[in-house]
Amino acid sequence: MGDSGGDPRGTPAVRDRLDRVEDPELARSIVELDYIDAIEIDGGRVEVRFTLPTAWCSPAFAWMMATDARDEVEALDWVREARIELCDHMHETEVTTGVNARDTFGETFPDADGGVAEVRAAIADKARVSTQREAIDALLDAGLDPEQVVALKRSDVDIAGEEAYVSLDGLSVVVDADPIDDYLDRAAESRHVTEPEDALFLTPEGEQIEADRLDLVQKRSRLATVNMGGQGAVCDALHRARHGPEGPGA
Amino acid sequence: MINPHSYVLPCIIRTRMYEKDGEEIFVIDGHVHLWDARQENIIHEGGEQFLQCFYDYHTGFTPEEEQWDIDEYRHYGADRMTEDLFGNAAADMAIFQPSYLSDFYDEGFNTTEQNAELAEEYPERFVLNGSFDPRDGEEGLRYLEHLKEEYDIPGVKLYTAEWRDDSKGWRLDSDDAFKFLEKCSELGIENINAHKGPTIRPLNRDAFDVKDIDDAASSFPELNFIVNHVGLPRLDDFCWIAAQEPNVYGGLAVASAMSTHRERKFGEIMGELLFWLGEDRVLFGSDYALWNPDWLVEQVINAELTDEQKDEYGVELDVDTMKKIMGENAAELYDIDIEEKKRQFRDDDITERFDLESHYGGDAGARAD
Repeated sequence: MGDSGGDPRGTPAVRDRLDRVEDPELARSIVELDYIDAIEIDGGRVEVRFTLPTAWCSPAFAWMMATDARDEVEALDWVREARIELCDHMHETEVTTGVNARDTFGETFPDADGGVAEVRAAIADKARVSTQREAIDALLDAGLDPEQVVALKRSDVDIAGEEAYVSLDGLSVVVDADPIDDYLDRAAESRHVTEPEDALFLTPEGEQIEADRLDLVQKRSRLATVNMGGQGAVCDALHRARHGPEGPGA
Repeated sequence: MINPHSYVLPCIIRTRMYEKDGEEIFVIDGHVHLWDARQENIIHEGGEQFLQCFYDYHTGFTPEEEQWDIDEYRHYGADRMTEDLFGNAAADMAIFQPSYLSDFYDEGFNTTEQNAELAEEYPERFVLNGSFDPRDGEEGLRYLEHLKEEYDIPGVKLYTAEWRDDSKGWRLDSDDAFKFLEKCSELGIENINAHKGPTIRPLNRDAFDVKDIDDAASSFPELNFIVNHVGLPRLDDFCWIAAQEPNVYGGLAVASAMSTHRERKFGEIMGELLFWLGEDRVLFGSDYALWNPDWLVEQVINAELTDEQKDEYGVELDVDTMKKIMGENAAELYDIDIEEKKRQFRDDDITERFDLESHYGGDAGARAD
């Protein structure tokens, strides 16, 4: 995406905002996943319709995507109101009504146990674990040993442009910023690694890694990535089964 | 969409057992259903949505020429099931995994009793599991005893995510569930199959939770816990638990279907399972009629890891691994003597019905060769 097509008030601008909304289970954009059925613009009012891969997708996930979509679109300064419609879902009415009425998830689904915030945190944590692997690999490839990797603090890393500077006892190691940056974003979303003195890398449980367990933690990160990719394949297949390969708009 | 050949006349006649690298592979399909989703059996809109969702799984992971139409998918009956499983020797044996869903389906979706109709006709070919729901209390315990007495069930299939009235499911590590697991242990019902996969009802916290398996498995080391669908989309939690609990197994239903169109993802998942659980704790299942073993078994047996995956995981889908996954591991759990079965199948009812003598190397087959 990234191209607003010149018209700041057009559909591409709305799609650009929607591109920031992720399917929390897959950590991928709902635009890229082809969930968007339609975008309709009437002056300052924008309506977005979307469909998920199955009518059974967790309503908590549907809720997150719907509220995120609403908030992203409303972040455009010319948008007065965004209306979101969830289609072909067993709880389409509840989600659509609740999100547009600005109700909370708990008000909409009073019998759901556990709030949407904790689901969001749990999902964000999986993305943290998944992205940690490449960040650590980048450092190991740059010559750090496991003891050095697990001893790093948040304050030992600085991102500057396309490079990340890692301080090691006064020395500085430079690596590609991308994997480190991705990881730090995910870590922050899951509310980890936020303070300067926090350990830079953590076990899936959020604890300090022991150097001799680093390889095991890396394998668990790989597993988290495979899980998300596997679920992505399932969702994609279901999405195609429901709507054909061209997506819901076809 | 309908493949006329798959029912009336199989396209490829298998005259021998499956082979890989010259070795025979005995196939126990660890996950099959005989379900009824006809309109007259549906009493809640959830029942229709459930079936439609199943159908999306079916078409999403079935080669186009093997796809069924929705009406045959709703209700295929015992005859067609027998034909699909054994008519062309797609599987040698199969294990029924009931799912009741009584709130959706008047007579149930796929109950022990419904499955028994066919299992009792060919007892040498089928393993019949039962089910329990701890929310049934004393009555449920009596029902479990009844199932053991009536059908001698060696296992149960459980739906922890099934809603009932105000309840949004139950956990295997709850006190109530432990009473039922104790009863299973007492009755010798050793194989606890838990559906831990795609969600059934709008769940949130439960939607990605397999952690109750952990406590249940360590509290009942004498029982085997087979996690169906290998916990997808919680494969990571599942593998980590299974790596620490030796009596936790992975059932490949759904995952095995990913060998259709998604070979690479299938390879990654197999790599992870073999890495964390090892080749002795992974069990094939087609989830019939979600997918038909008539084409799926062959596809899985022939699946290979990419070179990159072999390097990454340090494992291979070689013939020894396949023999275990496709049959030997289930045989171990359900006390099936594969060599004895092969002898028995030279002239059992199924073999006579479908002329499979040569398949099992019986006299007729030996002569034909």
